[in-house]
Amino acid sequence: MTYVLHLAIYIAIYSILALSLNLIVGYCGLLTMAHASYFAIGGYTYALLTLTLGWGFLPSTAGAMLVAAILSLALSLPAWRFRGDSFVLISLAIQALVFSILSNWYDAKFPIATWRNLANGPSGIPNIPKPDIIGIRFDTVSSMAILSLALLAICGVTLGLLKISPFGRLLKCMRDDELATRGLGKNVRLTKVYAFGISCSIAALAGVIYSSYTSYIDPSSASLDHSILMVSMVLIGGVGNFRGPIVGAIVLVLMPEILRFGNLPYATAANVRLLVYGVLIALMVHLRPQGLMGEYRFR
Amino acid sequence: MNTALDDAKIAKMSATDPLAALSCREEGIQIATQHSVLQGRNLQKSFGNHCVLDDVTVDLRQGEVVLLRGENGSGKTTLLNILTGNIEPDQGTIRVIASGTEEYFRFPRPWWQDLNAFDHFTPERVASEAIGRTWQDVRLFQTQTLLDNLAVATPDQPGENPLAVLLSNSRTRAAERNNRGTASAVLSQLGLAGREDSSADRISLGQTKRVAIGRAIRAGARILFLDEPLAGVDGKGILTIMELLTSLARDEQVTLVIVEHALNIPRVLDLADTVWTLSNSHLIVEQPSEVRNQLRGLAADGLMPWLKSMAGPNANYEEQDLGNGARLTRFHAQSIKNQKALLELRDVVVRRGNRLVIGCPDFAGDIKGISFKIYEGDLAVFHAPNGWGKTTLLEALLGIIPMEQGELLFDNMPIKHLSVWERVRRGIAILQARDNFFRNLTVKETLRLCNQTSSDTSWLSNLFDRQVASLSGGERQRVAMSLLKPARLGIYDEPFSALDLSRETTEALDCYVRRHEATIIFLPILDENE
Repeated sequence: MTYVLHLAIYIAIYSILALSLNLIVGYCGLLTMAHASYFAIGGYTYALLTLTLGWGFLPSTAGAMLVAAILSLALSLPAWRFRGDSFVLISLAIQALVFSILSNWYDAKFPIATWRNLANGPSGIPNIPKPDIIGIRFDTVSSMAILSLALLAICGVTLGLLKISPFGRLLKCMRDDELATRGLGKNVRLTKVYAFGISCSIAALAGVIYSSYTSYIDPSSASLDHSILMVSMVLIGGVGNFRGPIVGAIVLVLMPEILRFGNLPYATAANVRLLVYGVLIALMVHLRPQGLMGEYRFR
Repeated sequence: MNTALDDAKIAKMSATDPLAALSCREEGIQIATQHSVLQGRNLQKSFGNHCVLDDVTVDLRQGEVVLLRGENGSGKTTLLNILTGNIEPDQGTIRVIASGTEEYFRFPRPWWQDLNAFDHFTPERVASEAIGRTWQDVRLFQTQTLLDNLAVATPDQPGENPLAVLLSNSRTRAAERNNRGTASAVLSQLGLAGREDSSADRISLGQTKRVAIGRAIRAGARILFLDEPLAGVDGKGILTIMELLTSLARDEQVTLVIVEHALNIPRVLDLADTVWTLSNSHLIVEQPSEVRNQLRGLAADGLMPWLKSMAGPNANYEEQDLGNGARLTRFHAQSIKNQKALLELRDVVVRRGNRLVIGCPDFAGDIKGISFKIYEGDLAVFHAPNGWGKTTLLEALLGIIPMEQGELLFDNMPIKHLSVWERVRRGIAILQARDNFFRNLTVKETLRLCNQTSSDTSWLSNLFDRQVASLSGGERQRVAMSLLKPARLGIYDEPFSALDLSRETTEALDCYVRRHEATIIFLPILDENE
């Protein structure tokens, strides 16, 4: 049972990530490879705020989301001018920058959150407190599953409201034809800033759930592999609607678990997993470019 | 600045009560009738060493209708792009008074102005000054419904701010309901009632052009620049668009600047108050009556005399009805008995995905395809209304999409199973209406790629070193036509779109058509009498 709940938590975390990424990939038509960075920024900010300043769960979460929203300008400002491959390269640069800061800005002799040691480098930050909301502690797997599914529901409703609103329509029009949208007098720059701010802060929320659940975070959560996993979820599930990213998250979270039953040696299993991702994406691109459930064909 | 207040009020009112807003607008218009709404002074623009506009001065008044014309590459689209904020001129000034408040732009702009994010010369800034435009390739939002295409255009929607959506959802939803109601009313006015949920990529070209005009007006445009609003549209569609433009100009006093090409110029002249002619980088202002007297050749007489002259003095012609408003007119010099069929279609049915495009079901439920023959020495004109499936038929002939049923014979040999390149090698050459050029090559490289010798392409000599992407629409069309090999059967899809039909162009076209044993020209139906 604990195993199933554990999987439910992971599915909730990755569904939140995929839904938020869908706002950029599916609704803005921009492919970002830096989503794991914002996930990690959320997890790390939560860890630092709770451990060093002693903040509670809600203020630290709000802080983490705010930091991610502000840092999303690193993506949204270049998105004013760049699209397509150039934007992917810029997002890769941001991905590499965040990963390298988290990995290298440390000196073991100094405590964390100081100028000499930002976040403990490759050793990561242990002992991150479990969520505690108005006196209720979420320290069991079942309570954590309830919390993460509830947060998934809140994120789903929030993003759902945005997607059916004129804001969502404006994003889709911008994706279809940015110049025509500008010709109607729309402030596309501000709209992009909003979209990236919302998407990155929700990714940060997923990071908060992850780090508080596992009580540990290290730079691997900001790795490029992790970003690719998130993008795969969105592309395999299908972009531009609601079901797609969630289906993608479920498929890609459960797939390694199924491979686990194949009794493969650990080192082989990891490689087989990557192989299956690759084959799956290649097949999807050929056979069903709009993803399993998608309504928009990402170009 | 009464008009500024009026327009702000009208924008708010139009969301709730379009009729009241219209009557207010009419009152406001009377105040401003005598005013100039846009002035461009001494505008200059060069691309590299090539000067496109030199010392161009324009003045637009409220409710004025201007026809903007000029030969291919004369800078019509460049002028349009400058006046709508899409590109900055090298020199000159632009003053916009259309929205009631005055905006003044001087070029070249000093560098410090570029640091101010709120003071850029951009399409959105110009659009917020009540200047709208439509594009040659229409550019509706393809994945959106028609209703959404119009609803998105409404300025200052509270629901476009995500914080407002989350924090005051009921207010934004109420505003959105109003907005959709008004957009639906506008759609009915455009003659598209009941098509609210149609996807923008599922309607005919004429309808998309109408929606594009409605969208620009919905965005608050009081000056509307239209880039070839009639190009590629069939006769019926042209009538509806001209009615819409007339009502905008005469009833709502919207200022219109219409760019058009030869064949459609007479229709626009009926409405125009002024004609701007671009020639040798300069702009000349003329009266419509003067211009009408100057029209000669194709522009004045239409296509029929040209086609007859191409077919020869003793040519007969016969028509074949192909269903759903399409017809094939074949001009042939000799009697059919002596002629050999070059291309034959027998009961051809083509689908795109699940949609039946060519062919129609009969009473028994079987699908009946189209059949026709083209003989050696024929000049055939395939007239069909927009949305009939001309492009689909062309793609099926070339082998880009498969035929579901029927037989296709070329020179009495079945070619249905052949790939695109094998069909081209057998002697079929097709000029597509779109996507018929290589953007990143220069004209010279493009010609070399297609093995064309310089003698065939002398009419392009002044363009050799330019990149195809930098050419104007008409110049690209010339390059695309030069790439056609002297194949046995030449198929041209809307070859006249974007062409100026000057003597040079028609002579070149004559020369290309004469190189084929038979030619089919696909055209939208222009006029019932033609």
